[in-house]
Parts: sequence; structure tokens; C-alpha cells
Amino acid sequence: MPVKKSFLTLMLVLWAAAALAVDIPLDRAPVRGPADAPVTIIEFMDFQ
Amino acid sequence: METYGDKVRLAIIHFPYRYRDYAALAAQASEAARAQGKFWEMHDLMLERRKLDRESLIAYAGELGLDVARFTRELDSEKHLPRVNQDVELARRLDIYQTPTFFINGRKLVGERPFEAFQAIIDEELAKAQAAGN
Repeated sequence: MPVKKSFLTLMLVLWAAAALAVDIPLDRAPVRGPADAPVTIIEFMDFQ
Repeated sequence: METYGDKVRLAIIHFPYRYRDYAALAAQASEAARAQGKFWEMHDLMLERRKLDRESLIAYAGELGLDVARFTRELDSEKHLPRVNQDVELARRLDIYQTPTFFINGRKLVGERPFEAFQAIIDEELAKAQAAGN
């Protein structure tokens, strides 16, 4: 069943991508710079 | 930020170290300033002056032309503490234990690092974006 196999492969790829990616939600974060900038720097910061 | 202009954006996640006297207060002060549209102005002023006790923070609010009564009320009532704590929980989930910790397009950089360390990663990411046609 090639269809089923490719589906499983896709799921595996998606799972691996999700596990590798650092998904940090920025919807609440203060942001400086354009939303479509090619580089996003996320800083976990302590003012002190 | 100045070097790269509109190619780079910076987002802040609060991670006040819990055993420092003013870390959590300063984070809340930045959010209280943000509530009045001056997060980055307060951010820059706190990093420049370094003094982060309650009186200094209130003085900065005055300097920035904020509504000082509102700022003080929000600081004293810990109005923005839940917002800060959301970030702390996020940092813990990601197993971050040191500040500053940076993610540059998802690539982790830990600690106070020289500008060149950032530059190397940013330049690589810009080259990647260019190759991808962005």
C-alpha cells in the first residue's frame, strides 16, 4: 500500500520537525522590528 | 539591531532570576511601561541606568512621561506579575536556566556573548533567507 506508506512517512517527518523546532510563542511578547524580518532574535532576559 | 536595520526583529521573554532582589520588579516595571506604550523606552533606560529599586523605576516612569500614579499603582499591586510568570513558565518548559539566552531563528546562544557571535549566526540566517528568495 504505497499511499499508506507515504502517509506514515509524512507523519514521521512532521513529528521529527515538531520535535526539533523550538516553538516559542511571541503573541504576548514585546517585539521591536518588522514582523516580516528574515531574522528573529528571541531574548530570554533579566534586567538585573 | 542598528547594524541590521529592518532585517532583524527582537522579541523579549521575561526570565527574572528569582533570587535577585529587583529582577521580578524590573520585569513588571517594563510591562507597566508597556501598558502605556513605552516598553522599549523603559527597557533601554533600565539597562542604561542599572538601578532597579522601586523608587528608581518610578523616577524613570516620570522621565519617560508616563502616568506615574498609574505606573506606581500597577507596580505595587503586581498587576503584571501573571504576565511575567507566564514567561517564566515558558522558559522552564524550554529548560532555560541562564540569562541572557537567545534564539536566533531558533538557534540557541547562551550568555553575554560578543557581537561577533551574533553576527556570524545572523549573517548565515540572512544568507539562507536570501537563497530561499526572501
